[in-house]
Amino acid sequence: MPLKPPAAKDKKAAAGVDRRSFVALCFDPLVLAFGFMAVTSQVWVLALARFMFPNVLVEPPTAFKIGPASDYPLGGVSTKWLAARGVWIVHTDQYKGRNLIYALASVCTHLGCTPNWLEGEQKYKCPCHGSGFYVNGINFEGPAPRPLERVGLKLAADGQLEVDKSVKFQEEMGQWEDSNSFVDGSLA
Amino acid sequence: MNSLPLITSWLSLGSLEPHPNVTPSVIFGLGWLYLILFCMNVAWTWRSFHKGHHIDLPAFARGGHIPTAAIWATYSTVLMLVSLIHFSCASSPDSFWFIMPDFAKTAVDAVVADARYYFAVTTVGFVLMLLFRNWLAQPNIGWALLNLSLLFLTISLTDWDFRQIVGKPDNVPIVAMLFIVGFFTWVFFYRANENDRRSAQGRPPVEAENNEKVLTWPDLVYTEMICMIAVTALLILWGIALQAPLEEPASAVKTPNPSKAPWYFLGLQEMLVYYDPWLAGVVFPSVILGGMMAIPYIDFNKLGNGYYTFNDRKFAITTFMFGFMPLWIGMIVLGTFLRGPNWNVFGIYEFWDVHKLEALNNVNLSEYFWYGLGQPLPMAPAGSEFWTQAPYILLREAPGFLAIGFYLVALPGLMAGTIFKKFFVRMGFVRYMVFSNLVLMMAALPLKMVFRWAVNLKYFIAIPEWFFNV
Amino acid sequence: MSVGDYIRDSQIWKSVFRHPAPYDRRNRVVVMLTNFFLHLHPVSIKQQGIALSYTWCMGGITFFLFLVETITGVLLMFYYRPTLEWAFNDILALRDVTTLGIMREIHRWGAHAMVITVWLHMYRVFLTGSYKPPREFNWVVGVILLKLTLLLSFTGYLLPWDQLAIWAITVGSNMARATPVLGHEGPGFQFLNLGGYDLITNASDARFLLLGSRFVGEETLNRFYILHCVAIPLAAAGLIAIHFWRVRKDGGISQPL
Repeated sequence: MPLKPPAAKDKKAAAGVDRRSFVALCFDPLVLAFGFMAVTSQVWVLALARFMFPNVLVEPPTAFKIGPASDYPLGGVSTKWLAARGVWIVHTDQYKGRNLIYALASVCTHLGCTPNWLEGEQKYKCPCHGSGFYVNGINFEGPAPRPLERVGLKLAADGQLEVDKSVKFQEEMGQWEDSNSFVDGSLA
Repeated sequence: MNSLPLITSWLSLGSLEPHPNVTPSVIFGLGWLYLILFCMNVAWTWRSFHKGHHIDLPAFARGGHIPTAAIWATYSTVLMLVSLIHFSCASSPDSFWFIMPDFAKTAVDAVVADARYYFAVTTVGFVLMLLFRNWLAQPNIGWALLNLSLLFLTISLTDWDFRQIVGKPDNVPIVAMLFIVGFFTWVFFYRANENDRRSAQGRPPVEAENNEKVLTWPDLVYTEMICMIAVTALLILWGIALQAPLEEPASAVKTPNPSKAPWYFLGLQEMLVYYDPWLAGVVFPSVILGGMMAIPYIDFNKLGNGYYTFNDRKFAITTFMFGFMPLWIGMIVLGTFLRGPNWNVFGIYEFWDVHKLEALNNVNLSEYFWYGLGQPLPMAPAGSEFWTQAPYILLREAPGFLAIGFYLVALPGLMAGTIFKKFFVRMGFVRYMVFSNLVLMMAALPLKMVFRWAVNLKYFIAIPEWFFNV
Repeated sequence: MSVGDYIRDSQIWKSVFRHPAPYDRRNRVVVMLTNFFLHLHPVSIKQQGIALSYTWCMGGITFFLFLVETITGVLLMFYYRPTLEWAFNDILALRDVTTLGIMREIHRWGAHAMVITVWLHMYRVFLTGSYKPPREFNWVVGVILLKLTLLLSFTGYLLPWDQLAIWAITVGSNMARATPVLGHEGPGFQFLNLGGYDLITNASDARFLLLGSRFVGEETLNRFYILHCVAIPLAAAGLIAIHFWRVRKDGGISQPL
């Protein structure tokens, strides 16, 4: 490959000609027609991409009640709602020393496998790539880049706890301070 | 009367030992394998006899020479005896002695059950293969290597855990692939050495000689038809012998342990241990594909087009083979055979214990840097806005950004003046930058592995707030 | 007149084969020119170029396996419904009930074999330097075909709807979450927002596009089924045609210059 094509020597002169004819080129019928076609087909590509995104999703309701707070004593991780709803209900004082009940989504923050709660070792351990999380959801081993996510939890009017999976709270973004992400553990 | 103790020993075997290393049927099957090995070697002995090669003995043995065929004949006889031992001892597995000894299992496991040693061994093996390619490419050496690997496989089958992992129907093609890749690599070196010798003598490559045009019918179409029939027969036999796996019905909440991607993606899954998904799962695969497409436009070497050679294209072939063998195939083997529950590494003779513990506490470069200076990590006031946080985060990760910047921007420049000087001159700026960045990306995986093993490095740049971890 | 001659002299036979059997040199040339399936080949070819020790026959075997997969795949489609209710049960039935259910085994092992032969074909083409000018573009087509082969295998992996399938696809497709800018857990997704609302969420990112849903579910099964049975095979067939065409137009099987 030659470093400079021979035509490049007359670049300046050539550029002058180009500049003069550029406006005329824009109104050339052929250029207009092909330009229009190119733009139209690009719009079509984008529209077809949008077509592939469905507008209606058939999914179970995201909010559900899980019984009174007294069902979840301090120091326990409940796997009662794991199979049906994919959440652990955690009642712990291991996060910043506060007595809290919260719901952790059972989705590993590495690649979305479902970790196992190991009662004996008091940790969540992901079978896919070995990420480990403390009882409070904070990651401490393996490739997971950040803690497990909390989902919404509140005390409903009838005294039951209600989980809302449509919202999530990420520890590393400071969202665990949000009062919708936990319930006071002394209620239990 | 003899059969009574036999039956009781079978029964007790079934009830006492849940994972028996050898059972009568295993021993019987191995007998057949040794018999097949024997037949293969009889054929090879016959070939050696007709070639008439011999090995010169060293001077202290009075300088005689032994026909190669004699050696292979002796070896075949031994195989025959081994096979007979298996058939005659199949009924008493408890006292069967022709098995992989425990000390050998421990030794092999000590090497392969550690990703560091595994990677070191495959890399060193790769370098040795290139250095000793002339010696390895001799037919008798190739045959001996094939025999050694088959013997290793066969005697390893006397181990229960080895049988579990190698005998899984989805893993059988991977075992076969190892032999096939090994065979074709040998074919490559055999033909490349021949051409390199010719080239040194100023003769044209084999491919340029006896190269008249022939009619496609029958010379090519018949080859194709025989290939098609052979492949069909193989597929049907394979389909009869091994049933396609089908596990329990899908359950979205019960993750199997371990959970593996399809086998051909296990190289990528292995990368996930060292890099975050956005790199290992998206960027690197794209770079691999883009880089492979770029090969013809980067490689300016006009030699080696249309014939096998090593000497004419040393750099290209070494780089490609390194990517294909230790990095791609090697990582697939690691992911398939050695990664067990909780993604821990297990030896090939080791039981997949779910409770095997492995410390995985890793540290970020930023933590090394700031704690090393005796400083806390720079941190924005709690609850602050994105634009208030950003400078703190960037300052915190500055060492990582500098390191990556040096690696991808400054290092190509340095290499252009030193080891890649010739390439830079021939390629021009743009092509050289593409080339050097591709090579550096390829090296990024082994480099991160080494850093992880040496200093438990988790991330060069760790910004989980923005999902940006390198 | 023998039966064979009688058949070969009939009008039906002659309407199908427009020339005598390829017994002599002239008809061996003619057969290559007039037969649709054979005309992929040139009439004559360099002796070393078709040596098995040179080509390893891997490209040809890959193409043959593609045909095997197409045929067995079409047969399997008669007994398979891509729904949560039936997918797993249909595969069970293929294993236990269907006559010649071995089609599924052949399909699966053929897929494994095809991945291996594609790699070996690429390995051979690289080692003989056959990507060098004038064959650069065909190498690029080949790399795309390699990728399509892997995608074919990957999309097929989900269809049995067992634990192996769903978790391999979950792990594989979750990487798309992390796509830079276009994945909702990828670096830079924050840049795509309008008036404070993220445009990229778990219901609008690259993974959602792939799955057609926020989790691996029925929509995903349907999507992967269509990709596996129609979309990718069509794309692959088109590219294979181009690949073969360019082998001929770029000077046939590579040879020393």
